[in-house]
Amino acid sequence: MTDAASPAPRRGRAHGAWIGVAVIIALWELAGRGLTEAFVLAAPSEVLAYLAEDWRLMARALGVTLANAAAGFVIGNLAAVALAGIALLWPRSQRIVTGLALLVFCLPLVATGPILRVFFGPGPGPQITLAALAVYYTTLIPLLVGLRAAPDSWFDLVRSYGRGRIAALVHVRLMAALPYLFAGLQIAAPAAFLGAMVGEFTGAERGMGVLTVRAIRALDVEMTWGLATVATAVAILAYLAIGALARRVLLDAPPVILAAPAAANRGRGWVDALVVLALAIGLWGWTIWAFGLNPFFAKGPGDVWAALVTAPDAAATRGVIGAALAETAVFLLPGYLAGLAAGAGLAILLVLVPALAGTAMPLAIALRSVPIVTTAPLVVLILGRGAAGTIVLVAVMVFFPTFVACLHGLRQAPGQVMDVLDSYAAGPLARLVRVRIPAMLPSFFAAARMAVPASVLAVTVVEWLATGAGIGSLMALSASLSDYDILWSSVVLVAALSALGYALVGAVERRVLARYAPEQLA
Amino acid sequence: MQSDLTRRGFLGTGAAALGAAGLGLTPRHAAAQTAAALHLSWLHSAQFAGSYIAQERGFWRDAGLDVSLLPGGPNAPVEPPVVSGTALVGISAADYTAAAVEQGAPFRILGVAMQKNPFVIASLLKNPVNAPADLEGKRIGMALANTPVLQALCTLNDVDIDAITIVPTQYSAQPLLAGEVDCLLCWETDLPVAMTMQGVESLTMLLADHGYSVHSQTYIATEDSLANRRADLVALLRGEVQGWDIYRQDTDAAAELTLRMHPDAGLDLETQKLQAARQVPLMFSDLTEAEGFGWWTDEAVEANIETLALLGRTVTPDLWDRSVLEEVHGG
Repeated sequence: MTDAASPAPRRGRAHGAWIGVAVIIALWELAGRGLTEAFVLAAPSEVLAYLAEDWRLMARALGVTLANAAAGFVIGNLAAVALAGIALLWPRSQRIVTGLALLVFCLPLVATGPILRVFFGPGPGPQITLAALAVYYTTLIPLLVGLRAAPDSWFDLVRSYGRGRIAALVHVRLMAALPYLFAGLQIAAPAAFLGAMVGEFTGAERGMGVLTVRAIRALDVEMTWGLATVATAVAILAYLAIGALARRVLLDAPPVILAAPAAANRGRGWVDALVVLALAIGLWGWTIWAFGLNPFFAKGPGDVWAALVTAPDAAATRGVIGAALAETAVFLLPGYLAGLAAGAGLAILLVLVPALAGTAMPLAIALRSVPIVTTAPLVVLILGRGAAGTIVLVAVMVFFPTFVACLHGLRQAPGQVMDVLDSYAAGPLARLVRVRIPAMLPSFFAAARMAVPASVLAVTVVEWLATGAGIGSLMALSASLSDYDILWSSVVLVAALSALGYALVGAVERRVLARYAPEQLA
Repeated sequence: MQSDLTRRGFLGTGAAALGAAGLGLTPRHAAAQTAAALHLSWLHSAQFAGSYIAQERGFWRDAGLDVSLLPGGPNAPVEPPVVSGTALVGISAADYTAAAVEQGAPFRILGVAMQKNPFVIASLLKNPVNAPADLEGKRIGMALANTPVLQALCTLNDVDIDAITIVPTQYSAQPLLAGEVDCLLCWETDLPVAMTMQGVESLTMLLADHGYSVHSQTYIATEDSLANRRADLVALLRGEVQGWDIYRQDTDAAAELTLRMHPDAGLDLETQKLQAARQVPLMFSDLTEAEGFGWWTDEAVEANIETLALLGRTVTPDLWDRSVLEEVHGG
């Protein structure tokens, strides 16, 4: 990596980080003091005073939530590795595995939370499960990209020694996948914490999520931001720790990947989609049957079909859900695109002007790590209750994974190719356009695909907790009014539309990567 | 090691039980404790302090019932755990119960903790809402989900709902204090208490005083439990009645107990004391004085059915089942 090659800018960057953090805290202090009357933001000095006084309570809550988040993090990532293994050993299954994984990831937690609670009973079950669900997908996708990010010549080498796919897996694919795996784990850390916190909303005795709900209702701004600060600090530490681990483990420079253009072999897409659909419906019905879930709240495929198609009030049901979905789309699409643009843009900017990294990195991590539950009222206050607030919150949720993935992708630019450009005295812009951006594209598209469900998650959470509009609010309302037909129908439509959005991004990706990174399409 | 301990523990307990049985000394509590869960409608707080008193003083234990209190939360509807049997009894409200029954849940209301519905319109002194008519021309902050509640209030009091601007907000007093809205639809016992604790005096108009009759904090159980676990239901509700009677005598002590039993809930003692005191008029009345905690009249059921009809819910009087409470107060 460029970091290792040039120690001097690195020290400068370390100074820059401190200056950046100091600037952020100073701005935060000013804003906090300026907004005292609005009850939305506490200044860092007030937060510190609160934490100094109530640190025992906070430490106990942190211990509980952190333990659940860690358990979910481990389980979710192990599941991702196992799924990637299946997809790799049986390549034909890859699109089915990712399709099913996507559908599960798209299940909105407003709906899954209460069902998990009934399923597990009292205890940390739902918290751990939601943390695991929040991470497994964002690890799986980069991992699958990484397992293929190796030059053909390496595989030829393995074959020339008479070794088979297992040797190729161990010696080539796993090594090639490690940088991608670490990027996935870095994204997963804050997500696991958020998942564990939201899991506590399903009825928990203690934890950071419980305290957040309490603090917001009690107008206890110091406690609210104390909680947010601790959650952010934990997420940043986890991010940095995984990054430090990655730097110790990843010593090799990224390879040059020269691959032949992929043959046009896309005819099986519909078949795969149908298989995924059949499996999903089968699994869904089987789960309800096998665990004897009560038909009052557990609706099967037949119930949803009836509610949406054959029931006398099906048209009304479709109308209600359709209107809510349309309301949500207005926030979702601009937020998604803005988040992608901001993530890729900032990553490119940091590569062009490395000095900015010191300020931008902590801010970027903090933005993503501050629990959305806490930031929503502040953003809504600043931007109003119209579309802008929700769009910004969605963009923030999309921005960070995209940014991390793009930054990582830009660094995957092979040294040899950079050397060629150096020898032609090419400027930073030429390097960017000709080497770094093409190297970034696989990561960017992987992020763009992952961001589809992430943005859906963000928009439904914001609608549920802050704005009370759209499909997120409809799902919360139908859960509280026991209208489980509407709830499950909404879940199905949200998951299906997310998968469709994902497929659309995938179609664009294939066209672009066929030119820039054909090894990904093999 | 784990299994060794368990096995030894099992053998030990078995031997002790055998010895005790041989001597004719069966321990009073350890034997025949039936497990039962009471699902609360929200996170632990003084809202449920009567239940904590029942638990702490062993009212349930003495009746052979091992009650666990399951906390609710923002994403924890009470109805599914009660339907599926995870909880024997749930704390719901007549409107939510009616909605669940419409969807096929076999619920009965066994007791009514809040005779008066806790919904209020909270406003600030400089711009007060004293009566429903004052709402016209105001901006009200509330969850859109509660629009039927406002609609019902307007219908009951001949107020034009189109003259009110509904601003969808999160459940917090912050939009009122920031001046984004003129009033809030909230509970008597939470957001106004939070404002008082922040030094902001507010005014509350109780919807129940203006014709909005919906029983709240109701105890619900399934028809199946009523048929097959009646003794447990009676024991559970009896403990509740005893607990809430003690609660009423000293709400400050009840708030202190709440904090002692739930040190990790992040509760503030003064807030809890105020909340505990403010819910007394909603829960106790001349009626409960005469008939006992949790009681209701047939007239109240009629009034509930009328208000629920305004909320779009059709219910019959047999949603309310007084038989368990009659046993509690009779025996």
